[in-house]
Amino acid sequence: MNRILLIEDDAETAEAIVAELADRGFEVQWAGDGVDGLNRARASSPDAMIVDRMLPGMDGLSVIETLRKDQVRTPVLVLSALGAVDDRVRGLRMGGDDYLTKPFALVELVARIEALLRRPTDCRETILHVGPLELDLIERTARRGGRELDLLPREFRLLEYMMRRNDQLLTRAMLLEEVWNYKFVPATTNLIDVHMGRLRHKVDGPGEVQLIHNVRGSGFVLRSRQ
Amino acid sequence: MHQIQLIRSATFLWALAVAAAFGLFVVALFAFVYFKLDDYLVARSDRMITRQIHFMADLPPARRVNAIADHLAQDSRGVQYAGLFDAAGVRLAGNIERVPRGLQLDGAVQGVRLDLFEKPVLHVPVVRAVGTRLEGGDVVVMGRNVDETREISSVVGEALALGLLPAFSLCLLAGAWLSLRAQRRVEEVNQRVQRIVAGELRERLPEGDTDDSFARLAGIVNGMLDEMETMISALASVGNDIAHDLRTPLTRVRLALERGRTHAATLEELQEVTDNAIAGIDQSLAIVTALLRLTEIENNRRTAGFGDVALDEILREVLDVYEPIAEDKRIGLGVVVERNVRVWGDRDLLFEAVANLVDNAIKFTPSGGRVELALEAEDDTALVSVSDTGPGISEQEREAVLRRFYRSDRMRNTPGVGLGLSLVAAIVKLHGFRLIIGPAPGGRVEILAWTRGAAKSATRRVADGAACRRQPDGMSQMKRDAFANGQPDLSVGVTNAD
Repeated sequence: MNRILLIEDDAETAEAIVAELADRGFEVQWAGDGVDGLNRARASSPDAMIVDRMLPGMDGLSVIETLRKDQVRTPVLVLSALGAVDDRVRGLRMGGDDYLTKPFALVELVARIEALLRRPTDCRETILHVGPLELDLIERTARRGGRELDLLPREFRLLEYMMRRNDQLLTRAMLLEEVWNYKFVPATTNLIDVHMGRLRHKVDGPGEVQLIHNVRGSGFVLRSRQ
Repeated sequence: MHQIQLIRSATFLWALAVAAAFGLFVVALFAFVYFKLDDYLVARSDRMITRQIHFMADLPPARRVNAIADHLAQDSRGVQYAGLFDAAGVRLAGNIERVPRGLQLDGAVQGVRLDLFEKPVLHVPVVRAVGTRLEGGDVVVMGRNVDETREISSVVGEALALGLLPAFSLCLLAGAWLSLRAQRRVEEVNQRVQRIVAGELRERLPEGDTDDSFARLAGIVNGMLDEMETMISALASVGNDIAHDLRTPLTRVRLALERGRTHAATLEELQEVTDNAIAGIDQSLAIVTALLRLTEIENNRRTAGFGDVALDEILREVLDVYEPIAEDKRIGLGVVVERNVRVWGDRDLLFEAVANLVDNAIKFTPSGGRVELALEAEDDTALVSVSDTGPGISEQEREAVLRRFYRSDRMRNTPGVGLGLSLVAAIVKLHGFRLIIGPAPGGRVEILAWTRGAAKSATRRVADGAACRRQPDGMSQMKRDAFANGQPDLSVGVTNAD
């Protein structure tokens, strides 16, 4: 069971996050201010941390910076109402691993925490295998069983990203940031869906077991286990 | 109090200083004129008596007595003195009693006091005199009264003094008037500034008809106030826009929740209601996010990310993202991109601007239409154009589309928050490029950029982010020039999803 430390001063927000993470099988500790959060982080060595930026006593970024100076490598998701690009960059520079702007969807928070906890498959591999899927990173070819998949460069990157995080919910925001390198929300809301639809059309042929699943209202998942 | 203020005012003190300097100058001038005049008159009289003594000395001794008598008889003003003495110093002729003591008999002129034969009424005059011993031992002395020189000088001095007084007074009056005028203007400015501080943003400083530095300063401040008033009005209207635009999705959320709470009988129905509510809240958040982004860009705090950017690569990336979207909507997406077009800018922001334009074009073009994305470059300019077969932007809406939250009535029901073009305009302005909106029918929006070389200076130019009037034929000047000089070398890659 993964242990998560949440440092958040707003009790209602914290309550909702704790409840959601507990439902998903995480063990959650909650600290209401920066100093208490720092002490708990040092004492209990959690598997991941969720840190709000604006905290009483000691602000979130200082907490992260102090931990990083102490050589604590725990993955950290920064929460903040400050959503400007400069704020995000600063949050990540100070030692945050991911940044989520308030208000956020709980499903987004959980997906990002899971992504932080499950490091992607060893990056040194040159051929990825997920179920019947095989992706050759050198040859830039993709196969499903004996069938060759004809993918466009962007689709190849998308499939690679999903295979490295199989069985993990990937939200549209995560895909936009990681695969498309978008720093903003596009006006066309179905942008990801259209691209995903085309990839799914190529990956899941007629009569084949569906690998790419749409999780309603949340995002997508590549399931290796049926 | 008012008088003390006047006396203490800088203008009046300056006027006083100028008047004092003027007075000193006049006194110095007078002294200079006096001494020059005195010197001149004394020298003139010295020359005269020297000539006279030479004349007397050259006369035969027998004629000297008569000559002196004649010389004195012709002196109607009584300023001439002469004396002829024998070797023992006894007077032989003239109006001088005896040879003056201290007078060198060497023919050099000097100032002496004379003992006159007839005592003067007032005072013994100061006289310039010359004496010489003649052959045979006689002494001749010739003199001239120089008091009249002093008289002339004092007359000149009086004239100058009389002139000095009115000039000094005039200076003081001018100073007082200027000081009062300046004080009145400052007082008026103070009152108006206080009114502005109190919230009367329409108030302006008095500029007057003159072209002095005060008026110019007032003009500059008024310009600043105009700009501030515009910004504050824009801010106020943004506040209204936010309130207005957030009301719609929030009302939907409220109604959905209200109805769900009353009517939802099953878990599925309740979930559906909740989904609708979440969608409404997401729409509200999208508006807030877009606004914050717009503010961030408009605050010009993003120039830190500027660098050398390949515009053609950005266009290809945008195409890569939107190709499936266009295909999904059965819209043909054509692209004509010149290679190696580099500009100075922020890669992410430029991508966002072009993506926004293509996004809009695809959104507003009906199924079966076409969207064209093009990049042309020549000399130091590059032109990104996005055109479509949609309804386009009418003449009346051309300025309006750049306003925040503007949504064409015809497009009320399309998704989006109405901030796309405002964002594009802000990004374009930040880069010092120009946004050109073409006439309807058919949409056409262009970004005129300065390529690398011209680009760095372009970011320092006054940005022109406003919509510009276009030639009615829908072709930019640049493009027409390009066609006039023969087609530029374009690499063409057309993607047609029809």
